[in-house]
Amino acid sequence: MSTAGGSNPEYVNARVRARSAALFDEEEYRKLVRMGPAEIARFMEESEYEEEINALGSRFSGVDLIEFALNRNLAKQFNDILKWADGRLYDLIARYLRKFDAWNVKTIVRGIYSEADKESVDADLIRAGEFDDRFLDRLLDATTIEEVVERLDGTMFDAGLEQAYEDYEDSGVLVPIENALDRAYYENLLDGLVVDEATEQYREYLEAEIDFRNARNALRLARSGADIDPADYYIEGGSLFSATELVTLAQNPDELVAKIRDSKYGDELSNALDELESASSLIGFERALESALLEYADGLGYVFPLSVSPVVSYILAKEQEVDNIRAIARGREAGLSEDEIEQELVIQ
Amino acid sequence: MLENIALQSSGPAISPSAAAALAVGLAAFGAGYAERGIGAAAMGAIAEDNDLFVNGLILTVLPETLVILALVVVFIV
Repeated sequence: MSTAGGSNPEYVNARVRARSAALFDEEEYRKLVRMGPAEIARFMEESEYEEEINALGSRFSGVDLIEFALNRNLAKQFNDILKWADGRLYDLIARYLRKFDAWNVKTIVRGIYSEADKESVDADLIRAGEFDDRFLDRLLDATTIEEVVERLDGTMFDAGLEQAYEDYEDSGVLVPIENALDRAYYENLLDGLVVDEATEQYREYLEAEIDFRNARNALRLARSGADIDPADYYIEGGSLFSATELVTLAQNPDELVAKIRDSKYGDELSNALDELESASSLIGFERALESALLEYADGLGYVFPLSVSPVVSYILAKEQEVDNIRAIARGREAGLSEDEIEQELVIQ
Repeated sequence: MLENIALQSSGPAISPSAAAALAVGLAAFGAGYAERGIGAAAMGAIAEDNDLFVNGLILTVLPETLVILALVVVFIV
């Protein structure tokens, strides 16, 4: 067990726990909500983000500075974790961090689609996944979506992407491609995972994430009333819905809500579901889903401390922090009131 | 010669002092194994926050008490 190159959860978890203790808490958010972009940048300079703010401070200012610093710090944190981890733990974390590969490819494809310039796409990439810098730069150099698809040949996104590209050519919307990327990521997550005592919780958590994503997609479809087949959006691997169930439930939001309420997530989500039924606000429900997922992951970390769960919980919390700060900065810039911004935050 | 062998086989397989030495050795082995995990976690914590050095050191050497207790056996036999 202690051979060189073996798993080292003790070391990684100790560091990760220290890092998650340094995340912003409720009180700091309350302060941030009352600040302007320049003050937020100043506040960040005195926190974990010092290095990034100093490095980028001469080139950018205001909300741009905050955003670049956030993305860069996120990538740095996750690359740190990968650097610490060895053996099996590395494999489990890398598997999860591939979501940034999916995110990066989606960002690049969207950039080409909306004809954004290369620099602004580059700034939005989070270089934390499995693709190295050179490969990402090659993807960035692509000028058409077809080139991107070609260059992804041989990666885990390869399989469904060709078909999705044909669909894209027929319909002219990006949805099939983004969907194919998401599905490739989620299907690879659980594929070939050796389940034993230590990874049982990891799998449970991943299943919850897939379930929540399916539920969210179904609700969005039900609300939008668009004529899209929900089965196209179904992600395999969850334990709550099957593909056919989701198709029928998407037509009937009330039944969908009842189904979630009866499931094992019912307790955690009961407040969110009440809100959904009374106020019919989908945004509130999505926030509640996110904070329920956060809480779920956090709980798992305490049940089995020497597993990958604390790391996953940290990754999720860190991402949420970055989202929150970005929402505050963007909200202040757009002149939203403090209450409105506070509603946008997911605070644990 | 034969007598000697007969005498030996009727006695205990190992002498008391050898058994005591084994006991200390095994205790040290257990302490080392316990310190492996604690030491790794302590290093992680210290890397994040230098102030934890003293706490980390104390917690890391705590299993060493196992060896000290086992050492008592050496004086008893």
